[in-house]
Amino acid sequence: MYNRLKTKFLGIEVKSPLVLPAGIMDMSFSGLDISARNGAGMVTSKSLTLEPRSGHKGPVIAEFESGLLNSMGLCNPGIVDGLAEIDEFKERSDTPVIVSVFANNTQDFIKITNRVNDSKADFLELNLSCPNVYDEFGIPLAASKNKVYEIVNAVKRDSELPVIAKLSPNVLNIIDIATAAEKAGADALCLINTVGPGMLIDIKMVKPVLFPKFGGLSGPCIKPVALKLIYQTYSAVNIPIIGMGGVTDGEDAIEMIMAGAILVGVGTAVYYRGIEVFNKINKEIIQFMDESGYSLLEEIPRLEKLENATQTSDL
Amino acid sequence: MNKRVTLTIAKIEHETKDIKTFTFYHKLDARPGQFIMLTDFEGGEKPFSISDCTENEFSVTVKKIGEFTTRLFSKREGDLMSFRGAYGSSFFISNTKVLLVGGGYGVPPLYFLAKRLLKAGAEVVVVNGARTEEDLLFDDKFKELNIKYINITEKGDLGKKGTSVSIAKKLLQNQLVPKPQLGNNNHPQAGAWGRENREKFDFLYAAGPEKMMKNLQKFTGDITYEFLLERYMKCAIGICGNCTVDPLGIRLCVEGPVLHKKLVEQLTEFGKYHRDASGKRIGF
Repeated sequence: MYNRLKTKFLGIEVKSPLVLPAGIMDMSFSGLDISARNGAGMVTSKSLTLEPRSGHKGPVIAEFESGLLNSMGLCNPGIVDGLAEIDEFKERSDTPVIVSVFANNTQDFIKITNRVNDSKADFLELNLSCPNVYDEFGIPLAASKNKVYEIVNAVKRDSELPVIAKLSPNVLNIIDIATAAEKAGADALCLINTVGPGMLIDIKMVKPVLFPKFGGLSGPCIKPVALKLIYQTYSAVNIPIIGMGGVTDGEDAIEMIMAGAILVGVGTAVYYRGIEVFNKINKEIIQFMDESGYSLLEEIPRLEKLENATQTSDL
Repeated sequence: MNKRVTLTIAKIEHETKDIKTFTFYHKLDARPGQFIMLTDFEGGEKPFSISDCTENEFSVTVKKIGEFTTRLFSKREGDLMSFRGAYGSSFFISNTKVLLVGGGYGVPPLYFLAKRLLKAGAEVVVVNGARTEEDLLFDDKFKELNIKYINITEKGDLGKKGTSVSIAKKLLQNQLVPKPQLGNNNHPQAGAWGRENREKFDFLYAAGPEKMMKNLQKFTGDITYEFLLERYMKCAIGICGNCTVDPLGIRLCVEGPVLHKKLVEQLTEFGKYHRDASGKRIGF
């Protein structure tokens, strides 16, 4: 049945367009593996940094009526141990893996890239858009087209793997940023990271619920924002897009594809529908294809691109 | 969605020099083995097993270990705390003859379990082990229940030296060997665990240090068991991946913390390592 969901991403065949995004179930080889076994066509590691990070003090996550708010704080075992987990995953699975990495400057990105070159990962994703380390590192790199260009360009020179730039929704003009990444040589784009950041308050104790005060918003409520930004980006660039943000069921995934995504990330939906969510959405995509008369995923049409997309301001 | 609840601490009991039980007046829909995430919003949110839960109140038992629990120890009755949960899997409630094995700070959730088992009509035997008499948790509470209760310390200050595993081993092996002959004092099962003490358990439950459970596992034979495991938890809702266990990838905050024998037996990391807040592997 799933043969119908096969697709190609940067020359590599994936069994399903669904991707486990960075930050979800990806601390260990076994977390990646259970996601792949449950129907994810591709998996992404936790964003790895040069040194291990314990992340923020809790509460780092809050459930609320319309989604989740999180500020994990880039916890990860560091590039060495993180890549060892990925290699262990690759020993037991043929599912392609994206290694997500985070650094605050070009030099560290280069150091990390060289480590990744020696791993069994298939793609390198640059997390330019973590919204939760503002206190430590300032405004996310993805907010500046010059920074995005500089880092992607430098990493591309050293990387033996295709490079994906993960972009933030929290920018004035997504097209400026996306085209900067493309010009710098990015092989693909991944968007969106969490929205906001936002906050919640405990009204009895008069305290922010998250200890870091602010956190990135995810879940069904961000889907319209994601669709709009993916559609604008799709209209302006010629490189493939991994689209994500609030995808919870098959119809959401179809919307992402129609907006221009080649692959679709499913993250917070693991909270709503369990780790089986990937297979559930795979089935729902096929159900939609049956109902609409599409025999293969690639037959699903895209929206017509925006005219003059590069001139369209987000404001 | 699990709604966060913020309320005052109703009662604080001193269990040992570094362990306290905090009780909240709140109708919590919880089953034995489940946990809550507790915070004061001052930095730190930690999982705690529910040590008791009745119609209108529940308790958690906390050991002073780090920054968060140290601050928690300075709280007084009437101070506000916030929690979310209950989360996670729970123990199977059997109505047969069951053995509960607890070690050290792991014991409190077994108290909640023992009460629910009794309610279901089970015949309950509890083994409670600690380093010293002073460290023994819930000794009085267990003594008040209609159970067979055995306490033991490594120091031997209750009379005999031993561990909860050494006692459980005798109890479990007793049901596996032939009936001892009367008057045969050389038989390994003669003496303290003589004929009238013979036990036949249908289910085994354990909570405590992982090394203890790893050790106990050797003597489980054919008996079905459930162990309560602990891992570093952050989100408690099954998405961050910090508490997944190898090689299955199951999340201890959702599919655990109570794991059935069939799952425990497949865990390569059981008794060997866990992951810290960064996800780095740490040996036990």
